[in-house]
Amino acid sequence: MKRRELCRLAGVSMAALSLPALMLAKDAEQGSPKVVWVLLRGALDPLHTLVPTFDPHLAKLRPTLYKAIKQDVLALSDGYALHPSLVNLHAWYQAKELLPVVAVSSGYSSRSHFDGQDFLEAGLGHIDHESGWLGRAVQAKNKRALAIARATPISLRSDATVNTWYPSRLQDASMATYESLLKLYEQDEQLSTLLQNGLDLQQQANSMQSTQRQGRFVDLARSCASLMVGPEGNDCAMLELGGWDTHKGQANRLARGLNELDKGLAVLKEGLGSDWQNTVVIVGTEFGRTAKENGTGGTDHGTASALFFAGGAINGGRVLGQWPGLSERALFQKRDLRPTSNMYSWLATVLGEHWQMSQQELAQVFPSATTLANSDGLNLVSSRSQSNSIRVI
Amino acid sequence: MSMSVQGAIAANRFGLGAKPGEIEAASVNPRTWLKQQLQAIEFNDGLASSSELEIALAEYQRDRKRAKKMADVKNPSVQFGKSAQKMSIAVAKRAIDSNNSLNWRLLDFFSNHFSVSSLGRAMVALAPTLEREAIAPNLDQRFEQMLLSVVRHPAMLIYLNNERSFGPNSLAGKRGRGLNENLAREILELHTLGVNAGYGQGDVVELAKALSGWSVAKPIKEKATGFVFREQGHEPGTRTLLGKRYKQRAGPLGERQAEAMLRDLANHPATAQHLCFKLARHFVADEPSADLQAKLTDAWLKSQGNIRRVMEALIDADESWQTPPQKFKTPREFVISTARGVALPVFNGKKIWSGLATLGQQPFKSGSPAGYSDVGSDWRGASALMTRVEWSASIANQAKFLASTMSEQAIMRQCLGDTVSERTAQSVLRAESREQALTLLLMSPEFLRR
Repeated sequence: MKRRELCRLAGVSMAALSLPALMLAKDAEQGSPKVVWVLLRGALDPLHTLVPTFDPHLAKLRPTLYKAIKQDVLALSDGYALHPSLVNLHAWYQAKELLPVVAVSSGYSSRSHFDGQDFLEAGLGHIDHESGWLGRAVQAKNKRALAIARATPISLRSDATVNTWYPSRLQDASMATYESLLKLYEQDEQLSTLLQNGLDLQQQANSMQSTQRQGRFVDLARSCASLMVGPEGNDCAMLELGGWDTHKGQANRLARGLNELDKGLAVLKEGLGSDWQNTVVIVGTEFGRTAKENGTGGTDHGTASALFFAGGAINGGRVLGQWPGLSERALFQKRDLRPTSNMYSWLATVLGEHWQMSQQELAQVFPSATTLANSDGLNLVSSRSQSNSIRVI
Repeated sequence: MSMSVQGAIAANRFGLGAKPGEIEAASVNPRTWLKQQLQAIEFNDGLASSSELEIALAEYQRDRKRAKKMADVKNPSVQFGKSAQKMSIAVAKRAIDSNNSLNWRLLDFFSNHFSVSSLGRAMVALAPTLEREAIAPNLDQRFEQMLLSVVRHPAMLIYLNNERSFGPNSLAGKRGRGLNENLAREILELHTLGVNAGYGQGDVVELAKALSGWSVAKPIKEKATGFVFREQGHEPGTRTLLGKRYKQRAGPLGERQAEAMLRDLANHPATAQHLCFKLARHFVADEPSADLQAKLTDAWLKSQGNIRRVMEALIDADESWQTPPQKFKTPREFVISTARGVALPVFNGKKIWSGLATLGQQPFKSGSPAGYSDVGSDWRGASALMTRVEWSASIANQAKFLASTMSEQAIMRQCLGDTVSERTAQSVLRAESREQALTLLLMSPEFLRR
């Protein structure tokens, strides 16, 4: 695929979205439909998360990375498997509450984190710092939205008011930021010693208490649930989690990061209680990573990544999206997983059904969304009792 | 050294941190750019003066005495803590916005040199007025002028208890009031000669006696505010300080005895050495070179302590421009340079105040007349560094979408110019998110030091 084609992926009109009630599960419960958008900043490696064990090229491309998890991956269907850390997500899959999608892209064609995130969050097919797809949906449906952040992320920006909430004590820097700083200080003995000592001290202090820095996302997810639960709670929230830019030591870092993500989502489910049944959780990232592992046990910036839908309202238990293959010919620019569908299409479909959005409304949310390949019979969201008629078109 | 590196040093080491466009402007002629910044600072922001605060304090005191129960006390007309906070925030904001930040750094330096702490109601109210009223107007004067203004200021007189120091043989002394050596000792040890400069306990007592009667008016009873010389509290007699005799002056002229001593102290070679060492330490290195100190001291002695001349010598000295940078930013410098460099609306007064408090340098809270330390090792603890990381990340988290209209590359260039290392540039540009990029920039070795 040429860059031109990739751009085209983001350019097909909403009219092409002709999907029968795509993703929602069984009956709509009494509770109001809730949405949680989890943005993984830093580009999650899809092949290490949603593992295509059936692809003969995987072991060759990733001799050490694949080996690190091969024995322990959690099988899904059709030869796909989840990373061993994702135990809760695996259980949800079996309960048909998890729906992974392979090889998606926002249509962003370069490999800069900043621009890639801005692009994905805007949902417009171009970067706009003042308007995000979830914000426009919230505005269209008059929903109450909450960002678990200190400032409203682009995703939730629109003319509508969005609340932000973040714990007041200073605990903003992620483990990934500390790791980057340690690296930055490698040639500065004074600062690297100080930072290492500081981290050691903090670890000691944390092991005396029970909370850990790594549990930060878990705490945020718990708070997020309590701010959403019940009819008076928020309809929509956004969580962010960094630490995915795994240029080196990926096996360990993802084992830790995915564990934190998995635990956090489990805590979110627990906190939502019966509202879980009317909740859709969306987990996405700005782009993927190179198919081949690099020389430092990691992967570099790539193109297509994976997208996950979870929640009681999701008609899950299957892996969707078209697998492009990992042969050299199949790879995008001979290095990245090739995108076969546009993220916005999946987001539009799920959001449209879950919040019962009209075509007009969806066109405002995703003006440039593309068609889904072979969209027949996907039923991503469990069909609501009242009808199957909530179509994207 | 290229002019653009010098421009970055001018803005970051001498100034309080580069504002957008500043390094470019400074690079044309860094030394001239700095020298034209030296001037007195005026405050016309309508915030309370020491005089107004003294009246409010006195009224509150009177109401408390009269009231039978605390509940009957009227709230003071000025909320002392709040007004103090407002004043400190206003100073920080002016420093953040200023195009003459060298001047504001100099104000911070002398404010810390003549440190007062907000302990107790009166000092909570008055501490922030000292720098505004006695230091800022004298930044381009001789040190002697500044010293006299400071020692006559009610904040300093009250902080170091001189307003109630009376000579044992004065009228007040004979009624049982006594001498307090506190101010005299700190003038010799901290403000002028410096410790180990050869003065003794006898000199402390002699200066204290000369200063007895230097007091503060009682706003209600005397219908006046500010400095007052109380003849009836002044110790009579000739005094000897550092071997020099200062004769007794009659009546209200008694004030001149201490004034003459202060002028001599301000112009003493030990004072020149002490202050020049502190200036060199503040601007250039924790352990400044002897050559640099000598250049400053020479300028000081030649100009009788003219602060502008000394600063010009500092700017002219090659030692002041050395790389790599030797100074680790204090919390105040870190907060202010961040606000200047990132120039974001998140830096409202509350954010500035909480930043200073969180990082450990709340204005007028050093708790010591010696002020806050000016040495990196006192600020560079492991957990202090962790707090800086967390604070930077929280600023970055709030700033990310405001900053997103500007590339990380541009922000980095406007903060550090050509002094940014390849390593830092790569880390920032390869960060996994905008907020991480900004955190790494603020916590980079180049931004932590100046």
